Order: sequence, then structure tokens, then C-alpha cells
Amino acid sequence: MTDAVLQIETLSAGYGRFDVIHDISMSVANGEAVALLGPNGAGKTTVLRSIMGLIRHRRGAIRIAGTDVTKMPAHRVAKGHAALVPEGRRLFLNQTVEDNLRLGAMRHRRNPQKVQELLDSVFELFPVVERHRHRPSSALSGGEQQMVAIGRMMMNDPTLMLLDEPSLGLAPLAIDDMTRALVKLRQQGRSILLVEQRVDLALKVCDRIYVLSDGRIIDEKRTGELGDDGRALIDAYLG
Amino acid sequence: MLQVLLTGLATGAIYGLVAMGYAVVYYVTRVINFATGQLLMASIMVTTVLSMHGTPVALALAAGVATSTLGGVVVYFLAVRPVLRFNRLSFAWLVSTLGVGIILESLAAVIWGTSSLPFPNLLNGRDVSILGAALTWQQILTIGIALFTVVGFEIFRKRTLFGKIGMAISSDPDIASAIGANVTSYAVVAFALGGLLVGVAGILVGPLSFANPYLGESFGISGFVALMIGGIEQPAASMGGGLILGVLTILANTYINAQASDWFPFVVVMVVLLVTPNGVFMSGGAIKGIWRRFQTSRVEAKS
Repeated sequence: MTDAVLQIETLSAGYGRFDVIHDISMSVANGEAVALLGPNGAGKTTVLRSIMGLIRHRRGAIRIAGTDVTKMPAHRVAKGHAALVPEGRRLFLNQTVEDNLRLGAMRHRRNPQKVQELLDSVFELFPVVERHRHRPSSALSGGEQQMVAIGRMMMNDPTLMLLDEPSLGLAPLAIDDMTRALVKLRQQGRSILLVEQRVDLALKVCDRIYVLSDGRIIDEKRTGELGDDGRALIDAYLG
Repeated sequence: MLQVLLTGLATGAIYGLVAMGYAVVYYVTRVINFATGQLLMASIMVTTVLSMHGTPVALALAAGVATSTLGGVVVYFLAVRPVLRFNRLSFAWLVSTLGVGIILESLAAVIWGTSSLPFPNLLNGRDVSILGAALTWQQILTIGIALFTVVGFEIFRKRTLFGKIGMAISSDPDIASAIGANVTSYAVVAFALGGLLVGVAGILVGPLSFANPYLGESFGISGFVALMIGGIEQPAASMGGGLILGVLTILANTYINAQASDWFPFVVVMVVLLVTPNGVFMSGGAIKGIWRRFQTSRVEAKS
């Protein structure tokens, strides 16, 4: 794929001496939203951590917009190649909402105007975050914290957005809000790789899905082929 | 009593600076540098030896502090980074930093001998009387620098991007690196800053302690006790622990006997760890608990 933002070739990675994912190859095109689905323990988070440079030991190759990031440490991958919304949000709870957001824009620190523009775009997408900007992030609800986590990722203005189970632990209303925000990001032409267990959410947001099981990609489909509820997919792989 | 309190604060300021040396390193890296006391010794020894060989005192002091600062970085690259590269969750730094400390101590003894050497006088002049209590200018300078350090550190930590990145690393190093923070660079800065703080403590305590290769151990232990009393999670709290330890030590010396300072700090730290394991200034700690009860009682009294 010539316009691939993310290109992974035969990637194996894991923790310690044990590989969790084996020979994975996948891609995300420019402006495309792709979901990585699979049951618990399938290795979805490991894929994201590998892309982000948070796992050192690995084989294969990862390229983001043509740049080989396979051996890059996380702080260099974060220089615009990719940004991550981690599972469980993992905000810096000892800091305010605005501080969390501004830290996300660390690579733009010499360009205050750019930081302000990014901050405005986050507040436009999540008005509730602007209302809480001076509060400690620990004082926010789970849904609000997830908005801040997505906002922190947006502040990086990365080539590729990585989201790890953003719906996890959220109330249904908060999931709806978050889904709308992800759809807007996709409409803005952002390239997204979304790890999810909720097939309905993935179908609403993404153009394509990969199914991961036991560390291997076992299927790939366009979401249009899966119907509105993805029942066939759930029955086949995710039970 | 005021005399005891002020003398205790001056002593405690030294303990507090050493405790902050530990705490700054721990805050960023979750590592306790057990060579901290020996870095203090290095600062005192280098300052003393240089001034004995005719170097101007100001230059000797700067060289002493620079030595401990650089020493902190050396400890990181020699005893911590290799261990954590091998296994990020390893606790082998407990032994490796202790080992580097012992090597530094032995090296100093080989190079400069084991006899005590006179440290250059920093501030001469008469004592200052404060409400009948006498303090030397040296003690006033020590308290002033300790307060300046703790206030400056807190402003730097909370008001600058560099400080906020440090807070982020302290809170979640993985995610901090995923947003672009070079965690290794921050670790180097933290070890250097830890060395700088104990270097300053060294040149402040030097005139009172003489210069000896083995004095790092006792200050290292006192600083660690202060760290435990104040709380390991916040560098500013560790300074509070130092001040408490200093005052209690001088109280023990005055009202029990002159040797009480050898054992009394350990009694204090055992009591603190039993009553408030996270340190008296940390969340849920004794001081915060007392303050909250005080505020509650005021609200109740008003209503």
C-alpha cells in the first residue's frame, strides 16, 4: 500500500523471553480508521505498545509514514509519529487537566501558538474538558478522564493515533460521547488504530478491522462487509 | 528552649538537604541512591584539599559541589542504568549503589588518608542573638539555604514545564515517555541534582564536622532517616523530616545525654513508621491528619 501511514511487517514481540504476538503484518492507510479486535490476552495491547516503542524486544519492522520506527524508543516515536491513549487512561493524576493536555503537546513546546490551537481543538471536541481545565485530573469521572486522555493524544498532533480500549470501564452515555468524538476525528481525516473489544463501537468508527487471536491475525475485513451489528464476526471469533 | 529549637533547625536543615538528595532521585527514578552520603563526603574532601593547596575558598567550594554533582551522574551510569537496562524491575541497585558508596569511601581514604582535615571557614564573626538564643551566621546561612532550596524546588516542580514533566515521569514513566519525555535524561538530571543538594549540604556542614573520608556514612544514614520521617514521595516533605529530626536530635542531646543523638533518630523513625508509614507529611500523614482535625473542630466551633 503506497499511502500507508502504518505498515507492520512480520512483527513478533512480547515481554521478557516470551513472544505475545507472532509474525503480525498489518497496515493503516492515510486517513483510515482501523480496529484491532480480539478476546482478552490476544495481544492487542502488545501491538500498540510495540508501535509506540514501549517494548524493546521485537522482530519484524514497523514503519510510520515511511519512517522506520522499529528500534525507536517511545519518546522519539512520540515526536509526531504516533500518540497513544493507553488502556485505563493513565492520566497524570497529580496534575491538572490542562497540565495533562499541555504535556501531550511537549513536542510543540517551542511553538505556543500551535499549542494554543491544539488546546482549542480539544476544547471544541470536548467542551466539558474546558470547564474542568483547572481541576485535578483525579477529580474527574471515568468518562471525563477518557476525554482528557484522548485530548492529550490530540495535543501531540501525531501522524497516527493509537487508542487502547477507550470504552473500557465507561458508562453507556460516556461511551456514546467518546464514540462521537472518534467519528469526528476520523471525519477530520486522522489515521487511527483502535484496539477494542466492543465490536459495535469499532463498526461505527472504523473502515476496516483485523481480528487477533493468540497473538496472530486471523482475519481482516472491511466493516461494510460485517452488517450493522457485526453479529457474524462476534459469533465466529469473539463469542 | 528557643536555643534548642534554632540549633535543631540548623542541624535539621543539613539532614533535610541530604534527605532531599535522596528524595529527588527517588521521585524521578524510584531508585534510592545509597551512595548519597559518600557524595556529601566527596564534596567536603575536594573543597578541603583544594583550599589546603591554596585554591581560593569560593573556587574550592564550587569544585566540591561540582564533584558531588558529577558524582551523582557517575553513580547513575555505573550502578543504576546497567542494572535497570538488564531488568527494569530489578532492585539490584540497592546493592550496586551501596557498593559504589563503599568504593568512593575507600578511594577517598587511599587518596587523602584517614585523618581528619580542617575545612575552610566560610563565615566568621560573632553569633547573632535571636530573642536571647545565639546562632552563628553559618547556622543562619544553612537554614536560609535549606528554605530557599525547598521553596525553589517546589516552584520549579509545579510551575515549569521541566518540573511538570518530572512529575509526569514520577507518576507514570511509561506514559511520560509515550508523550515524548526522555526518561533517561531526566534520571541523569535527578542524580545530578541529588548530588548537587548533598554537595551543598556538605559545604554547609564542613566547618562543623571537619573533613574525613568516613563521615559520609553517618550523614547518609541521618538523611535517610529524615527521608523516612518526612515521606519519600515528595522532596519537600523530606526537608520537613530533616527539620523534625534535627530538632528532636538536639532535644535528645540536651535533655537525655550527649550520646542520645546516636540512637534517638532510630527511635523516632520507628515510631513514625508505626504511626504513619508514608511519612508525617504525606497524604494521610500525621501532620495532615492533625491539621484536618483542627480545621474540622474550627468549623464545628463556628457552627
